[in-house]
Amino acid sequence: MSVQNVILKLQEFWAERGCYIASGYDSEVGAGTMTPDTFFRVLGKKPWQVAYWQPARRPDDGRYGQNPNRVQKHNQFQVILKPVPVDGQLLFLDSLIYLGVDIRIHDIKFDDDNWASPSLGAWGVGWQVMCDGLEITQFTYFQQAGGIELNPNSLEITYGVERLAMFLDGKNNLYELDWGNKVSYAHLKLEEERQFSIYNFELADIDMLRGLFVQYQKEAERLLDHNLFLPAYDYVLKCSHTFNILDARKAISVAERTALMGIMRNLAARIAQKYVMQTEGENHG
Amino acid sequence: MADLLFELGVEEIPALAVSGIRDQLRDLFLARLAQDQIAHGDVECVASNRRLMVHIAQIPEKTASKEETVLGPAKRIALDDRGLPTVALKKFCEFQKVKLTDVVEIETAKGKYLGITRAAGGNDAAALLTAGIPAILAGLTFPKTMVWNESRRPFIRPIKNILVLFNNKLLDVEFAGVKSSNKVFGHLLLSDSYFEVNSFKDYIQGLSKNFIILKEEERKSKILAEILDIEEELECQVKLDDEMLNYYLYSNEYPVVFSGSFNAKYLGLPAEIITAFMIHEKKLLPVVDRAGKLTNHFVGVANIPDENKKVSHGNEKVIQAAFEDAQFFWEIDRKEDYFALKQLLKNVVFQKELGTYFEKVERLAALVDLLVNETQHGALRAKLQKAAFNCKNDLLTKMVREFPSLQGIMGGLYLQAAGEDETVWKAIYGHYKPRGLTDEKLEDLGAGILSIADRMDNIAGFIGKGIKISSSKDPYGIRRDANAVIKIIMDLELGLDLAPLIRLAALNFAKNDADLEQNYKTIRELFAARLENYLKDHLKYRYDVVNAVMGQDTMAIRDKFLKAQAVVKLVDSGMIEPLAALHRRLKNICSDSERCNFSEGLLKEKEEKILSDVFKESKSRIDDLIMKKNFLQASSEILEMKPIIDRFFEKILVMDKNVPLRKNRIALLQHINELLSAVADFSLLVEIKSGGKT
Repeated sequence: MSVQNVILKLQEFWAERGCYIASGYDSEVGAGTMTPDTFFRVLGKKPWQVAYWQPARRPDDGRYGQNPNRVQKHNQFQVILKPVPVDGQLLFLDSLIYLGVDIRIHDIKFDDDNWASPSLGAWGVGWQVMCDGLEITQFTYFQQAGGIELNPNSLEITYGVERLAMFLDGKNNLYELDWGNKVSYAHLKLEEERQFSIYNFELADIDMLRGLFVQYQKEAERLLDHNLFLPAYDYVLKCSHTFNILDARKAISVAERTALMGIMRNLAARIAQKYVMQTEGENHG
Repeated sequence: MADLLFELGVEEIPALAVSGIRDQLRDLFLARLAQDQIAHGDVECVASNRRLMVHIAQIPEKTASKEETVLGPAKRIALDDRGLPTVALKKFCEFQKVKLTDVVEIETAKGKYLGITRAAGGNDAAALLTAGIPAILAGLTFPKTMVWNESRRPFIRPIKNILVLFNNKLLDVEFAGVKSSNKVFGHLLLSDSYFEVNSFKDYIQGLSKNFIILKEEERKSKILAEILDIEEELECQVKLDDEMLNYYLYSNEYPVVFSGSFNAKYLGLPAEIITAFMIHEKKLLPVVDRAGKLTNHFVGVANIPDENKKVSHGNEKVIQAAFEDAQFFWEIDRKEDYFALKQLLKNVVFQKELGTYFEKVERLAALVDLLVNETQHGALRAKLQKAAFNCKNDLLTKMVREFPSLQGIMGGLYLQAAGEDETVWKAIYGHYKPRGLTDEKLEDLGAGILSIADRMDNIAGFIGKGIKISSSKDPYGIRRDANAVIKIIMDLELGLDLAPLIRLAALNFAKNDADLEQNYKTIRELFAARLENYLKDHLKYRYDVVNAVMGQDTMAIRDKFLKAQAVVKLVDSGMIEPLAALHRRLKNICSDSERCNFSEGLLKEKEEKILSDVFKESKSRIDDLIMKKNFLQASSEILEMKPIIDRFFEKILVMDKNVPLRKNRIALLQHINELLSAVADFSLLVEIKSGGKT
């Protein structure tokens, strides 16, 4: 199955089960969780069902296009179900069947793996879903976001699009994947991976990026003073991506890591509080 | 008589937590049954990652009836001078919901009391269980919990179903927003969701039809038998340890062993890396040939049969992709100058308030310097200091950043690949060993010395920072570090007194002199406690044997073990009884007196002169034996003096009225006592019979 068919089928499947199909966010994010459609909407009381395809950037995962399984930009398909449905695991298995996975001959396991994003003050409990030893999905019951205890909780299902396509297509190398209608993954991504790996690991300007981090941080703080938590959040995302490039450049010490994470976590917490205050009123934590 | 069938259906519990939860559940059930006075027959409790089952046989539908006495206030308090009820008695009646006329006088050992007698028991077991089960579930504790529904009840993972069948009838129980039902779910992948259960027989049949092997023992023997088949087929050995077996046992309800292979080109990677990636990353087992060499095969356990080899092929792809990553790290890391990484440790914090790793390795080099002196291995100084300075550099490699469990090992491997001296790379390679007391015996001296330095620095650092440990709390693994030091000393047979090392390590973190003395004392106490634990629980020495050797104020770890060994031999050979009697007698006299001076000129009687001569003649020989750690021989030589000492006690009055004579005799006995005490405090041996080990 092609990459685009995996995305299309998942959109169909979750649309039929009541999800609103969103677009991925148009700013660099490390994971679908950071998209405002997840970060904000899991807060507060209102039910929310959303599904979207989100490209995710992880500079440190770059392999110059030479590793068959790792890239600095991969694609996630993200589903948020709020409140948690009673049969979330079965719904998920149904989606695999819908994609064409015969679950009676493949070893699908829910393997203990709790998720945490210290920079967003978010964490959850759940599993990585393994299919014949390949991690294809992260399945998480959110407990906290922006430092706020969630009530109701949300179920987050994050599919690894390339992993699923490789599995369904029996490919060993993601560059051999068909994105759709004979356009190959290699044609689309190989040069991008090569160039961004060189940039992230070797050429990224450390001083400039450090400067940018501080500017983004200040802008987020300034916007928060004006109660503009949505644009403020955009600048936290920019901080996060800048941090990730600096990290790939090995420019961040352990002590500094803790400090920078703390800055982002505090901003995320303030933003989450403003959001809850505005949308839910004072009666919510 | 009825039976109780309880099953808690849960979404996948982390594999390594399952057996602990099962044991808790069993204990909580038993405690509740006892509390509610419910009689019962056999209790069976088994678990997988998706269900916890308790089956209790032979429960009477009503608990036993009996007459129960409830004591109220003492009669003198219950009635006033005129024999009228006081407030105390009225309150009692009110509380017990009885009339004053129901109260009777009860004779007790403490005198007369007022109270009531009433029929008790005869309660409905079904009702007690209905109330008891939610309480039992609420009593379970977990390392990490979550909430998922409106009940906001924390649990380890969401609960799917609660089955409570008593006397084949469903009891109405609710916990964490889930109501009991007799619909039990089968295998996650192979079964079509639920089946109905109306009896224990239904349950067992339903599970087996729905691909659930309920009992741990059955899953275990299936896994082991299938691994054996593969070993025979491939003429090889599968490396299965307890932790992985436990993992497989509790991550599959229908375990099926599969095997596969990978491209042999990856065998060019160091075996440590291959093994770490297989086990920790992919939960697969390495396979070695008859000679113990890694092969390009692996073994895993699936939750379904793999007739089409889909699982096996899938895992083959996954493990090769992982090796591809390993290869990338292995190559990119070796492009760096390993020794140059040390400067970058200035950016890596060891622990908050305890400085960077750069500072840590500087401290380690100083500790290593002391250690090579103390262990008479001065010739290793230069090499081991080089190892100390560079032992943490691998924290900056990509491989260790990705797989922290390879720290130390990678540093060693990178230096070995770069052609570094064997003593240096091996010391770095092994300096995180041992992980625990049950690890295999350590062999490498350099690694042992570096590890002692590293552990002692951890201990002194955390204690200097004010971290306290208790029986349940040891967040920084201080106890584990102390245990490791003891094991290294024992395995490598190091004649090392820890005291100077502790002082030097503590000095690095002390704020002032008082602080230094306090931390020095705390660390010594820590080691004394760990050694005691090591001798008693790990080596199984009897408590009085351990007490006999722990007393002396020294930190020579291995000496205490050798002494314990000698004491056990003395116990087993029957020599301990006269030694213990002698030591008790000597201590009785000596402990009451202050230190006295001895002078040969003051010896008067024949028996004391003989004793003095014999002692003088034996002492240097016994001192020498003690110095050579031959504690058994030293003890038996002391024992040889016993007839002469006995004769002394028979004939000589120690407490002579003449003070100088008395003090001189006490002084002689004090000398003998000191010699004996240098081996052990034999007076503490309480059970004079063979078997110094428990």
